[in-house]
Amino acid sequence: MKHRVRAATLAAAALALAACSTTAPTASGGGGGDDVRTGNGVTADGITIGMITDLSGPFAAGAAVQVTETQAYWDQVNADGGICDRDVTVDVQDHGYDPQRAVTLYRSMAPDVVALQQVLGGPTSAAVLPLAEQDSVYVGGVGWAGSALAYENNQLPGASNAIQAANAIDYMVDELDVPEGSTVGVVYFTGDYGGDALAGAEHAAEERGLQILAQEITPATTDLSAQASALAQADVAGVVLAAAPTQLASLAGVLSSQGADVPIIGMNPTFNPSLLTTPAADALLANAYSMTSVSPYDNPDSPGVQAANELYASADPTGATGWEVPLAYVQAELLRQALEGACESGDLTPEGVVAAFRDGGEVDTEGVLPDGLDYSQVGQSPTTTVFVSKVSADAEAGLELLDQVSGPSAESFSYGG
Amino acid sequence: MSDAPRKLVGLVLLLVALALPFVLTDFWLQTGLFVMATAIGAVGLTLLVGVAGQLSLGHAAFAAIGAYVYAFTTGESTTTVEGLGLPPLLGLVLAALVAAGVGAAFSPIAGRLRGIYLGLATLGLVFVVRHLLVNLDQWTGGFVGRSVEPFAVPGFSFSNRDPDYLAVAGVEFEGLHRLWYLFVLLAVVAIWLASNMRNGRTGRAWANVRDSETAAAAMGVGVAGAKRSAFVVSSAYAGVAGAMLALAYGRVAPDVFSLTASVDYLVMIVLGGLGSVAGAAVGAVFVTSLPLVLAQYSSALPFLAAPGSGGLDPSTASRIVYGLAIIAVLVFLRGGLAGGARRLRERFTGSTPVPPVDRPVAEEPSRSKETTR
Amino acid sequence: MSYFLEQVLNGLSYGLVLSLIAAGFAIVFTSTGVLNFAHGSVVLLGAYLVAVLHDTIGFWPAVLVGLAGAAVVGVAINALLVRNLADPNPGTAAILMLGVDIVLLTELTRRIGNQVLTLGAPWGASVVRLGDVTLPTGRVLAAGVTVVAFGALWYLFSRTDLGVGMRAAAADGPTASLMGIRLSRTAATGWALAGILAAVAGIFLTSFPAPGVAPTVALSAFAAIPAWVLGGFDSVPGAVVGGLLIGLTSALVTGYEAELEPFLGSGFGEVAPYVVMIVVLLVRPSGLLGSKEAVRV
Repeated sequence: MKHRVRAATLAAAALALAACSTTAPTASGGGGGDDVRTGNGVTADGITIGMITDLSGPFAAGAAVQVTETQAYWDQVNADGGICDRDVTVDVQDHGYDPQRAVTLYRSMAPDVVALQQVLGGPTSAAVLPLAEQDSVYVGGVGWAGSALAYENNQLPGASNAIQAANAIDYMVDELDVPEGSTVGVVYFTGDYGGDALAGAEHAAEERGLQILAQEITPATTDLSAQASALAQADVAGVVLAAAPTQLASLAGVLSSQGADVPIIGMNPTFNPSLLTTPAADALLANAYSMTSVSPYDNPDSPGVQAANELYASADPTGATGWEVPLAYVQAELLRQALEGACESGDLTPEGVVAAFRDGGEVDTEGVLPDGLDYSQVGQSPTTTVFVSKVSADAEAGLELLDQVSGPSAESFSYGG
Repeated sequence: MSDAPRKLVGLVLLLVALALPFVLTDFWLQTGLFVMATAIGAVGLTLLVGVAGQLSLGHAAFAAIGAYVYAFTTGESTTTVEGLGLPPLLGLVLAALVAAGVGAAFSPIAGRLRGIYLGLATLGLVFVVRHLLVNLDQWTGGFVGRSVEPFAVPGFSFSNRDPDYLAVAGVEFEGLHRLWYLFVLLAVVAIWLASNMRNGRTGRAWANVRDSETAAAAMGVGVAGAKRSAFVVSSAYAGVAGAMLALAYGRVAPDVFSLTASVDYLVMIVLGGLGSVAGAAVGAVFVTSLPLVLAQYSSALPFLAAPGSGGLDPSTASRIVYGLAIIAVLVFLRGGLAGGARRLRERFTGSTPVPPVDRPVAEEPSRSKETTR
Repeated sequence: MSYFLEQVLNGLSYGLVLSLIAAGFAIVFTSTGVLNFAHGSVVLLGAYLVAVLHDTIGFWPAVLVGLAGAAVVGVAINALLVRNLADPNPGTAAILMLGVDIVLLTELTRRIGNQVLTLGAPWGASVVRLGDVTLPTGRVLAAGVTVVAFGALWYLFSRTDLGVGMRAAAADGPTASLMGIRLSRTAATGWALAGILAAVAGIFLTSFPAPGVAPTVALSAFAAIPAWVLGGFDSVPGAVVGGLLIGLTSALVTGYEAELEPFLGSGFGEVAPYVVMIVVLLVRPSGLLGSKEAVRV
């Protein structure tokens, strides 16, 4: 018995060795009738793109809005003739905010998609990005942390968190009468999002001669009484908030109850229209601003935002409105431009899409993102311009657009410098 | 059940494991890597909790230590993080040793606590380790973590490089395929060692301590020593599991070793059947692969609503199914998955369910150590 | 000085709310030996019921429904699942509750969506001023309600047959059963009490200064675990002491974060409760007020 097993093992090993090969077969040609080179996810008549998002975890509701908008966008593109004469299909998968699931889903998706329009979430996209970089797969980020800028294949939709925070400080000094020498609070989530915002705020405070009082919190902190007391004690002249809607409402409410009537400027995802039904509504209307990379929902001057909103309204007339609608639209738009660029240069492979996305040239999003986006520099924010809005009961989705700004300390901020 | 058929079953399973990379897609390979990594962690935990009776909710903390030790010792220094650049094999050994060392250092503290007090004190360990990982960013990369060097032995790398192209019988062997064999080797060694330990002298001493510390002491078992050795062994297993997880991800971040991860290990060993090594492995397959498989295939089910339409969408449904599956196993299967499988086998082979003499520990209902007086 | 006082009062009032949750853990654990991992979802459930019902039936009736709903769910979990475990022991029971938590939390998260549901509490965003110190009215009310709730619990456990029966069942189930105490009844009472306490805590945790009901509220149950453990597993007074201690620690570590940051790293407020818990357990392995095990080796 033992001998037979041993002999069989030896034979199997010999067979395996004989079957080994370390010379790659020559790559096979394209799958199209045209002379465009193709690779993963592209056939003669179809293009598949991926979306790994959170449909069962903490961001499920907002992610669902984006899925709806994305599907509607590509349906329209297909109705208009598709891209490179091919129909575009979106493969949507749910990672539930679990990095392990995100990685596994990426593995299953990667051989069949040409690009990922979106990987939602900080820890999840941090897990997927390095793998996608090895495979040269374009990844549309959701999340504006500067740490993602280092990846060549990552598309950051607009200004990074540090740029937003630096602009927030500039805006306070230039427009909201925060005097030089005063102290500004920064309340931020532990992690890449909050950390990046803190870095931007610290840089700007140094430029503008302000002091920073930093308070770190986590998403589980829903009652900010202790933080608000500390801010009021330090007599802050304003607060930069890099957190989520729950924290904005709590902070605004408590600060105003303690008589601290100061502006609170939140980063991208810190506002949600349902906050205006909470007891903190008055405080929010008085003092809360939003500094966003993507245009707010209510922006009649931008044809892009109007197109996005109309598309969404026809796809889901009863759906929740908010910043997710223009964001999903513009991410689809950016990917469409990259795909078309890849098609024109005759290289509709994952590598070709990344190259087309990075090849420089200004990107026009019809006002959904600031004009003059520049994706040719890996490692730096594609723009220093952000949208400033004020919380308002009259505006759709609760944010009224005030201005687009690019402050001096946002412009002097540089990653790794 | 006699010894020979068990060995045969093991051999068949091993052959299947060796053949799988020839047929599996990347999704299943990646799932398999996660399963094997967590299985090793679960086996270590079942030795500690199931056999030695020391409840621990802090297993992910030890796994985190293993993962970061591997990443730090094998990584190269960059502008943002430091690394030692040691050979990966040495890094893997160090991951096990350092985790074991921390386990040894923690055991005098653990010796003071019992039952659920010990469990929840170790829960604190998860938060403390996480705080350190986020704050010691010159070694750990902070919240975003750091990338992990692929495993390699001289002349051969377990990644897509070196050799850049490798095919066996016409199937291209990329990093995932190569890692698969490394993980199978580690898993087989870990499970074999654990079974021997459990059925040997050490395991019996641990079980004695679990059943009654006073009786164990009276019979000449060094209680403190037995507890310490259980902690050291289980921490070493967690350390290896952590390093494997790091390799399977290609990077490490504090979020991978969260409280949920810690509790998941406990779910694996309880679902599998406390104290059973095979049960722990089966539990790891269940807990690790079920959510992944449900996520991948739930969208194919026709009766569920589209995401965002307000109805029950596939993602939510798969999460609920996962919760219900845990409940169902605990309510309907005595002895967990291992117990259920055993009864099924007995029914098939027609043998009467005699209490197997060679497996004294798994058959005994685990006893709670807390007295609520 | 008033800053210090304000942080102390903030911490104590938050700690009292935590102690409601911690007491729920303790009562369920003593009456049925279950480590209730689903407690956080029950906290969320109570608050959620109030939030969706207050518009149609008014705030106070909604509160009654919220308390009753949380109690019923607790009793049902015990009767349908815990009592039917294939291998009843603390390990399987804890994991069972984890399964229940996944189901409950996933469904509640789906229903809440990305809304922040307001509770419609009549005290709104008002505050009480004592000299230089301002405190949210909700917190002052929470402190009062908690004190009353613990008074009622004390009366129940020491002056009523049911309560004494529960204590007897906790101390020695089989003997209590022989003495004619119906264990199913004491267990159901324990789960119902824990559910009610959780719903009360949920209401205060989601009204001002917190903005409303969001799924993260379920995480607050984890914040109560150190409070429960360091007070002692089987002790309701221990839960109160533990809650106060943890509330105070969190508030002070957060309030003086700027001063502590160089020594402890940023974000220490999150870890501080667990560090306090480990330290207390090292000094007193059965918690501050838990009963000691008479085992010596």
